Amino acid sequence: MNLYESKLNTECVIVDLSCEDRLKLRLMELGIFKGERITVKHKSIFKKTLLVVFSSNCFTLKDEIAKQIKVNYV
Amino acid sequence: MSKILIVGNPNVGKSTLFNSLTKSTEHTGNFHGVTVDKKSKKIKVNNEEFELVDLPGLYSLNTFSYEEEIAKKDIVLNTHSALVLVDANSIRKNLYLCLEMSELKLDYKILINNYKYFEKKKNKLKLEKLKLINPNIEIINAKKIEINENLFKFTKNQTNLPYLNKYLNKIREKFDLDDETIVKALNGIFDYLTDEEINFIKNLNEDLIADRYKFIDEILKNDLEQNKNFIYGLSPLDKFILNPIFLLIFTLGIFFLSVYTIFFLIGPILTDFLNLCLNKFFINPFLNVLYSTCENVWLIEFFKGGIFSSFSTILGFLPSICLMYIFLTVLEDSGLISRLAYALDDMFTSFGLNGKAVYIMLMGLGCNTMATMLSRNMTNKELKTKTAMLNPYVTCMARLPVLVVIASAFFGLYSYLVVAGLYLIGIIIMFVVALILNKTIMKTEDNYFLLEFPPLRGIDVKHVLIETKKNSIELVKRIFTIVLFVGVIVWITLHTTFKFQYTEKVDESILFSFANLISFIFAPIGLNNAGVVCALIVGVLAKELIISTFSIANNVTSTSLLVSSLTSTFSVVHFSFPSAVSFLVFSLLYCPCVSNLAVLKKETDTFTMWLCVVSQFTIAYMLSFFAFQSLSRGVSFAIISLIVIFLIIFSLVLTLKRIKSRKIKCLFCDKCSKKN
Repeated sequence: MNLYESKLNTECVIVDLSCEDRLKLRLMELGIFKGERITVKHKSIFKKTLLVVFSSNCFTLKDEIAKQIKVNYV
Repeated sequence: MSKILIVGNPNVGKSTLFNSLTKSTEHTGNFHGVTVDKKSKKIKVNNEEFELVDLPGLYSLNTFSYEEEIAKKDIVLNTHSALVLVDANSIRKNLYLCLEMSELKLDYKILINNYKYFEKKKNKLKLEKLKLINPNIEIINAKKIEINENLFKFTKNQTNLPYLNKYLNKIREKFDLDDETIVKALNGIFDYLTDEEINFIKNLNEDLIADRYKFIDEILKNDLEQNKNFIYGLSPLDKFILNPIFLLIFTLGIFFLSVYTIFFLIGPILTDFLNLCLNKFFINPFLNVLYSTCENVWLIEFFKGGIFSSFSTILGFLPSICLMYIFLTVLEDSGLISRLAYALDDMFTSFGLNGKAVYIMLMGLGCNTMATMLSRNMTNKELKTKTAMLNPYVTCMARLPVLVVIASAFFGLYSYLVVAGLYLIGIIIMFVVALILNKTIMKTEDNYFLLEFPPLRGIDVKHVLIETKKNSIELVKRIFTIVLFVGVIVWITLHTTFKFQYTEKVDESILFSFANLISFIFAPIGLNNAGVVCALIVGVLAKELIISTFSIANNVTSTSLLVSSLTSTFSVVHFSFPSAVSFLVFSLLYCPCVSNLAVLKKETDTFTMWLCVVSQFTIAYMLSFFAFQSLSRGVSFAIISLIVIFLIIFSLVLTLKRIKSRKIKCLFCDKCSKKN
């Protein structure tokens, strides 16, 4: 499944990132890459923006990007 | 003289460190993207001079936005030493940049900040294996650090990073490149490389990033003891705060309550008191001395009308504007802006913007010019251009006195609601223009809203007072320079005939004659009073000059006198009710000030600047036309003017759709031009 579909407050492990190169590099540099743990903490009112937590950091993420991150539950 | 860069991720305390070391008051805030330009200052340590440079924050040398690119340019020159500030609470991510700098053999020190908060959350850090990244590492408090000579002593960087050898060997096998060039290329610096070399090296990026983090994790396994429940940036209060309805109502409610309290409750008392003191202890005694010792009417009137009228009325608003800056600084420091940006991102995206524009618009409430510069936070040219163009629709502090004075003169007890309504009109127009731009010439393609959440913080009273003092001093400087200077010129041209003789009748003056020549343009919107036209022209330089020009033309030296003079037909500048409404709308939107236009041109291009000027003037004219015609001629004219406005907007949109995109060099993507 992808990150967008995962349950709130449930830790996942990243399986794959399939976004555009420039964005993929930036996400990896922040610590979002294969094997890392990530949790969706909150979704905005229209579910277009997410709040995700990884390596103790909290970032916003657009829904289109979250749908390109494949995850499995831990 | 050595140059020392202050480098680090966004919102780690770089500007705070800069302020502590240089005793400056550069702008700081609890939001990622406060600093968008480099600032420098010279300091002396034991008779040795250093130039400290505060750079915008960046996560890595593979830049992602315009302000990161500004920081990267100085770092990769490799001629300067650097202090790299690292936040203890997100040390893993922060060390990534340190690793890149170690790879490039840059001379730098690691300074770990926010350690007190880190320890408070039951985390621990040792500085043992961390020295493998850089042996020069220490824990500091950026707010309270004192200058010491050891801080600026740098040893040559000879860090050995074992994971790098794999990549050096791989690239050396394929291409004839030296190690320095290879390492630079691995960090996004591709000078003098062929496309084949660049593509090969780029394909190694993903593995390299993973290896870098493996190295960091090995180090932190030994040195970091982290509380398992620790999440930096999220607070228990966020459960309530992140509800967008609560957040919007809370922030808007606080803002409008502040505007009401400051400008309509406490403000008038403070303004009248300041005007009274100014008149009683300075202006009147000075004029009395002048009356008794001087017989030159011109000189007396010059001081009264030219000098004192120029600054006294606008100076009366100083206490109110200070209080507004207190509000904005508290909002900035709290961390609420990031929450607002997240909550409103959905809505902003549907208009072709993103949540980061929230910060830019909020800062626009203070000063549009500074807020336009903040468009560098955006990650692509369309978002940057749109945000910079739309920012002038947010009513800044300079325009607020104009709105307050006119609204107080004509709406009495309801003036507060009128001002609040005008703010909303500006924001609604902004969204309409954003939508038109997004559907025509500035479609947003890549909308990456990647924002790190800062923690919620309490009010730092000292910081609030420092920022308020700094902004107030800037305002007073502005009043006693540009406002006073232009005010004097306005008075001279308002009291000098074409034969260069002094006149008390402003109708015979140079400025009025010129204003009368062009006032026909403003007749359809009820603003063909020559004094009003003068004020609008002068207002392009700075919006504060509108009030100043009114005061000079009506020969008043206090705000209350100005308010009452605007309703009197005996005053040079006066309004009827329909023309007052028309003026409120027109002055709200008609043109950004000159300094904002200069920054807009620098941040975007000449075409965008002129598009902004023409579109704002057109919109302001159309809305003023509608307001004036409906109020003076009734419903039928209102309907006709609405139809005219709709037709103009429709043809404008069609024209914009047909405009071929200009060649704009993009900073980040491979495509350098687009055509329809």
